[in-house]
Amino acid sequence: MTRRFSRRNFLNRAALAAGAPIFQIKPLRGVDFLLQNSPTPRKFLIETMPGGVALFDYNNDGLLDLFLVNGGKITEALHVPENFARSDARYWNRLYRQNRDGSFTDVTQSAGLANAGNGNYGMGVAVGDYDNDGLPDLFVTNYGRNTLYHNNGDGTFTDVTAKAGVAGGGWSVSAGFFDFDNDGHLDLFVTRYMDWDSDHNKICGGDWHTYCPPGTFPATTCLLYRNRGDGTFEDVSVPAGITAKKHRALGVAFADYDGDGFTDIFVSNDGMQQFLFHNNGNGTFTEVGLEAGVAFTADGKGLSGMGAVFQDYDNDGKPDIIATVLPREIYPLYHNDGGGLFTYQSLEAGLGSITSMSSGWGVGLEDFDNDGWKDLFVGQGHVLDNVQQIDASLSYKEVPLLAMNHQGRFERADSGVATPLSARGVAFGDINNDGWMDTVISTLGGPPVLLLNRGGENHWLSIKLRGTRSNRDGYGAVVHVNGQTRFATSAGSYLCANDKRLHFGLGSASKATVEVIWPSGETQVLKDVAADQFLEVAEPERL
Amino acid sequence: MGWFFFLWLAGQGGSPDALQHVRAGLEARKQRQVDTEIAEFRKATEIDPHLADAFVNLGAAFMEKRDYGAAIAPLKRALELSPDLPVAHQLLGYALLSQGYSAEALPHLQKVSALEAAGIAQLDTGQYPEAVASFTAVLAQRPDDPDLLYYLGHSSGLLSKSAIDTLLAKHPDSARAHQALAENYYVLRQMPQAETEFKEALRLRPELPGLHLELGQVYANSAQWPKAEEEFRAETKLQPGNGEAAYRLGSALLQQGKPQEALDALKRSNEVKPDMPETLYSLGKAASLTGDAPTAEKSWLRVVELEKDTSLAAQSHFGLAALYRKQGKTPQAQKEMQEFQKLQSTIGPPRSQ
Repeated sequence: MTRRFSRRNFLNRAALAAGAPIFQIKPLRGVDFLLQNSPTPRKFLIETMPGGVALFDYNNDGLLDLFLVNGGKITEALHVPENFARSDARYWNRLYRQNRDGSFTDVTQSAGLANAGNGNYGMGVAVGDYDNDGLPDLFVTNYGRNTLYHNNGDGTFTDVTAKAGVAGGGWSVSAGFFDFDNDGHLDLFVTRYMDWDSDHNKICGGDWHTYCPPGTFPATTCLLYRNRGDGTFEDVSVPAGITAKKHRALGVAFADYDGDGFTDIFVSNDGMQQFLFHNNGNGTFTEVGLEAGVAFTADGKGLSGMGAVFQDYDNDGKPDIIATVLPREIYPLYHNDGGGLFTYQSLEAGLGSITSMSSGWGVGLEDFDNDGWKDLFVGQGHVLDNVQQIDASLSYKEVPLLAMNHQGRFERADSGVATPLSARGVAFGDINNDGWMDTVISTLGGPPVLLLNRGGENHWLSIKLRGTRSNRDGYGAVVHVNGQTRFATSAGSYLCANDKRLHFGLGSASKATVEVIWPSGETQVLKDVAADQFLEVAEPERL
Repeated sequence: MGWFFFLWLAGQGGSPDALQHVRAGLEARKQRQVDTEIAEFRKATEIDPHLADAFVNLGAAFMEKRDYGAAIAPLKRALELSPDLPVAHQLLGYALLSQGYSAEALPHLQKVSALEAAGIAQLDTGQYPEAVASFTAVLAQRPDDPDLLYYLGHSSGLLSKSAIDTLLAKHPDSARAHQALAENYYVLRQMPQAETEFKEALRLRPELPGLHLELGQVYANSAQWPKAEEEFRAETKLQPGNGEAAYRLGSALLQQGKPQEALDALKRSNEVKPDMPETLYSLGKAASLTGDAPTAEKSWLRVVELEKDTSLAAQSHFGLAALYRKQGKTPQAQKEMQEFQKLQSTIGPPRSQ
């Protein structure tokens, strides 16, 4: 694909030259979605936690489509068994198909995605082609029963939850597809927050009347499903060792941190230590957060972990971890030192100054200026809707954090969002296929916010993997391009599924060397790859 | 109130009838028949209205019955008849104090050096410095008394408030008045107002020690680290011997990812105010970040020498574990991690601020 030179590009470049922010807020034409979190005076904790965003191409037309997870209706009279009125169209999740002109069309009903079940309050979404048919499927997490939607390839989805055996239960939050046993079939990990229901809700803060901290409620465990390859999954949470320790999990991100060829799992927990599940390669995991150095801050303090990203921020080829947390904690950055060890490096990376007063949720490491270094973007906003009354130095709504990566050190930049948001989920992708990464943010009680990248002069490369022996999406592959590394996944952030294409900024380089290490173990090298294109790389078939 | 049983006639004369009733009253007291006691002493005072001891005992009987209001009149009469009777002063002081007549009670209590009660009366009458002095004196005898500790804290707070009120009333435009206002805003977490007042204080008296330090903490509280650094640096110039200023400067530098500069400031802090655990912990952290493992180890080991069961000790064990782990000293790392986990289980996990 050649680089487009249009009036829009020219104007964007002129704006950037004049010091304009990288992003500009653009209306999502055709999207009339409002995230119905339904806050009540009873301060049900679920109200402040949704909602998910997925950027994925469900109809394989080359354009990213948008799936938005809705909350549900909550009234003060809510009691077990809860009814969230999800059959009411106001509380549906929504699928919007992107049209060629950049507008969107609501196809929820025709796609068979209306009515997520009255007993479910929506949380997040994961995207993966679990049956390797070349079509991305959807997994929606809820407080209640989770739902797996199989993509039929004709613009419709079928709820296959019961057949697949992945309904789970309780309070599920973030989820992600990954292939933990490298058998070519995507497995599924689901974080669960706590053991909670509306009959056991509590109100905290005395006269302030606030949502309660997580420690008020009993901890729970996460779910790991192994894909049998026949359209069904087996709950292997217990034998795999995932349930050995209870937790209050919100975020999940995947990467092979120790280079042993098996994808590991980082789980961000709220109000306690963070977990790193090392994949033992035999179907089991060992939680090694403390030993690996990612459980606490450098001061041995617990964190209010929410979102998480597991990518290489300093271009040393090893995946690092950034989680989002509450104010006065500083977003932890765990640098992967190799040998299975991490070091807390938030301060050295510049996050001390720019994150210590913020509440972070969705998070991504993407190269927004295509200079070859992954920048940091975080959707922000406090958990408590009355926090400003309690502490005037904090805010319920915040502008997102955009921090540009200058060779491993982050510096705050203007995100282009002047009006503070109560942001939660943030999904990343190149929505307009211009080679510059964009983002969509979900906001409590509000519409999603689209931030379009103004673009610039640098070169880029976008890689779509097509696994053959490995899973079709290529999740778990390690891709090196001109000294940069990405770990193929659409998971991470908070509640969201990102564009699965792997984006690389190339700076002034017009060519690239691409090395793909597939989950199957196959290594593939492509030399002299032209910049500024969407490249599909297919895994070589077995000889 | 055991002393009631030991009240006895002071030896002065009286009518035999009256004295007989007094003796009967004292007998009733031994039998704990307080109503009989009151009746007998009352008869004695009616028969001989000049018998001071009869009035004292009548007052004491009312006190025993917890009828403090009724005790006041006979005790006052006793002091009219015998102005130096210590027991009467003491009982009247307590009776008046219990009825809220603190100003009237005070001289009686002072007369018999009933310092705790006098302190309460002084507190009630706005004599805060005197109240602080009274409570401090009694605390020297009973250092763990919860009531005394409460009253000393309370009176000190009121003394402080009173001084600030006077300052604001008499010198509203002074640097100290702005400083006081700023400190109040800081406590209330109203940082923009605190910043404004500290800046005004600094404008008026830029040389005043402590102002830059306090303004720096305002900035630190809202994570404005470059500004905090500037203020802490100014304080260290103004007061090179102030260990806290150097420590705060080091912390601000650490927050900004400037470990080498932080290390210098924290070393300086440790020189001028050695063995401050907070400084030593941060010194270890800065040293660790700059790759100065020996200094990091030495600093953290010193913290765990100084502090046994605190979160700083736990954090130092955690830091040491990470340090040894990086050095490949697995047994030491495991030992320190065990110490960290042990402290976590006893004092609770260290929480972010």
